[in-house]
Amino acid sequence: MVDVFSYVPAIVLLPFFSFLIALGAGKYLPKGGAFGGIAATAGSFLLSLWVFATVAGGQTYNATIYTWASEGGIGPTDIELTFGILIDPLSALMLVIVTLVALLVHVFSLGYMNDEGETGLPRYYAGLGLFTASMLGFVVADNLLMAFMFFELVGLCSYLLIGFHFREPGPPSAAKKAFLVTRFGDYFFLVGVVAVLATFGTAQFAGEGSFPALADAALNGSGSVAWIPGGLELQTWLTIIGLLVLGGVVGKSAQFPLHTWLPDAMEGPTPVSALIHAATMVAAGVYLVARMFGFYALTPTTLAVIAFVGGFTALFAATMGVVKDELKQVLAYSTISQYGYMMLALGAGSYVAATFHLMTHAFFKALLFLGAGAVIIAMHHNENMWDMGGLKDRMPVTYWTFLAGSLALAGIFPFAGFWSKDEILYEAFIHGLNDPLLLGGWVMGLLAVPVTAFYTFRMVFLTFHGEPRTELARDPEPVRWNVKGPLTVLGSLAVVAGLVNMVPVQKLLGIEGIDLLTRWLDNDFGGIDGVSYSAYNDLLATHGHEAAFLGVGETATLLVAAGLSLGLAVAGVLVAWKLYNVASPTEHTAKLGGLKDVLYNNYYLDELQVWLAYRTEDAAGGADTFDQGIIDGVVNGVSSVSLFGGSRVRQVQTGLVSQYALLLTLGLVALILTLGVSGGWFL
Amino acid sequence: MVPIEWYLLLATAMFCIGLFGVLTRRDALYFLMSVELMMNAANINFVAFALYYGDLTGQVFALFVIALAAAEVAIGIGIILVLYRNFGVTDVTVPTEMRW
Repeated sequence: MVDVFSYVPAIVLLPFFSFLIALGAGKYLPKGGAFGGIAATAGSFLLSLWVFATVAGGQTYNATIYTWASEGGIGPTDIELTFGILIDPLSALMLVIVTLVALLVHVFSLGYMNDEGETGLPRYYAGLGLFTASMLGFVVADNLLMAFMFFELVGLCSYLLIGFHFREPGPPSAAKKAFLVTRFGDYFFLVGVVAVLATFGTAQFAGEGSFPALADAALNGSGSVAWIPGGLELQTWLTIIGLLVLGGVVGKSAQFPLHTWLPDAMEGPTPVSALIHAATMVAAGVYLVARMFGFYALTPTTLAVIAFVGGFTALFAATMGVVKDELKQVLAYSTISQYGYMMLALGAGSYVAATFHLMTHAFFKALLFLGAGAVIIAMHHNENMWDMGGLKDRMPVTYWTFLAGSLALAGIFPFAGFWSKDEILYEAFIHGLNDPLLLGGWVMGLLAVPVTAFYTFRMVFLTFHGEPRTELARDPEPVRWNVKGPLTVLGSLAVVAGLVNMVPVQKLLGIEGIDLLTRWLDNDFGGIDGVSYSAYNDLLATHGHEAAFLGVGETATLLVAAGLSLGLAVAGVLVAWKLYNVASPTEHTAKLGGLKDVLYNNYYLDELQVWLAYRTEDAAGGADTFDQGIIDGVVNGVSSVSLFGGSRVRQVQTGLVSQYALLLTLGLVALILTLGVSGGWFL
Repeated sequence: MVPIEWYLLLATAMFCIGLFGVLTRRDALYFLMSVELMMNAANINFVAFALYYGDLTGQVFALFVIALAAAEVAIGIGIILVLYRNFGVTDVTVPTEMRW
């Protein structure tokens, strides 16, 4: 019996090798190294499926493979820093999602990058490979520090890929922004990692000695933690740690107020946007919270914050999406909004709903981005929706798949997004009845539903319906199989992926066993103790996180919640239909009055951040002086001393043989004299 | 029998003459000759101690040194030839290309 888990490192390493190959030999390979990337991600995908099947057979894996620092006595406890692999239902599912999307993005890139005659393809494919590898490493990480390292690598890759067209002014600036804004969040994350290590002496995610288990034991009184700073209450300190780690999540998953990098990141090539938004960078934040949910479940305050931020972001981003003119900008705001939903679900304590939406969103958002990519190819890289129109009949495959993705995004029955979004709102609602902050999150999430449906269909109608508004739209460039293939695969998934977790149907009709994802994450197929949906629910219940139902019972509450969100979504679609599904639509944004400018300028948050940056100029300048003067000063000082010494000493080297001989002789005499004096010959 | 000190004094004198030549002469050929003198000073020491201790090893060693000296001269003259071809002189103070 071959042990599949010994091949898990290969899942991570295959894309990494494709990175090395594309980087080193890409320019000698056909298609700039694309086939290496496709082969590697296909290999990773197959291995991930194998892992998934093995996990479904009841096996899990949680092992350290390399200890890179094990000195005793760092801090209050002996801490081991390790690399390890954790394969449980959650990470196995995520592996399949990430590798599938990465594979399709690689294939799509053939059409978007190669066929369009882009230059610098080896660099592009190297970036994609490293991006995929980092994300996969992050997914299988078994401890927080390793996760942090790969988290940073993901951030680096996004920087490299967003700034791919580095000769134009926009992309490098957008890349820098993405890097700096996410780094701001990661700063808190790093402090959080150190706090976790100092507090628990371990950063393991799962198992007996993992930090969520230790924290739980300490809260029960059956254990204790190694370190708590300055007489804080344990609960308070855990909340602080949770919020610190959350900083990284807010940055990467583009939650308010660190979301500003994401719309700018649209400067990157479209397949990269698909990868960032669907499966890698942005997903990393939500996945991290899901990964260490056992810890967050212990701190109700953190959960409430997560839920509120998530709900707020969902609504906030959705409103900005309404007025955008560019295809990819609309999608960018929808991504922020959808990740807000996932955070809302996590905050509501519904680990399954968040993972579910993460999965369905990965499929339909990748689909929408690739669809947008196809439209952009067809429109010769014009992204303005007001220049499109009528593409429906000219590119049917793109239209139908894009429509499926849009229906999923808007949350229309029975597409994927409906099931997951409905579950999120339902969970937020029933838990929110006991918790005003969470209820606030739910209200905002609910209000975002019609807005989402509206801007999604505004986008669809403007792009595909009506009369063509430009010459380009009248005669779009055709796309090839390498564009249509990935679209078809993802389109089918966007239609059916929601069917893996039909909890509402199960509750209404009483058919058992169709909530596959819930059972999957609840270790019904096997898993690691303490890392399951019901284990988390027990924790949540212990810490006062209870569900409540309307006075009419669970089933009726379910119907009310689902009906409400579906009704609102349909209403949003109908408004968009009314306003924009006409032969030659006009802008209706003027009716918003002053609000339009506010929305169009993203609530002036970018300006606020720039303003803040200027206000803190002095502090940054001081830090810079310290860095340049003291830190660099020491390093430069050492080197200038040796340079100066060298420039003097080297003048001994005159090139005159006689002088060398003289020096040799004098040296010999000096040596003999020294030895003689110390040896006492001359006494 | 001549006391060992005399041999050693002779050897020291020869070595110092050779060293003086190496340090003061500018012509590469004089260099070679001076080096020969220094080597032979060492040879005298070998032979003198061999005689003093009644051990032939020192004499054998002296023979080796002579053979080696021949080889060294061959190489030395080769170097001087190249020097002459490139610079037109055998003065060692002229070629200072290998300075800092």
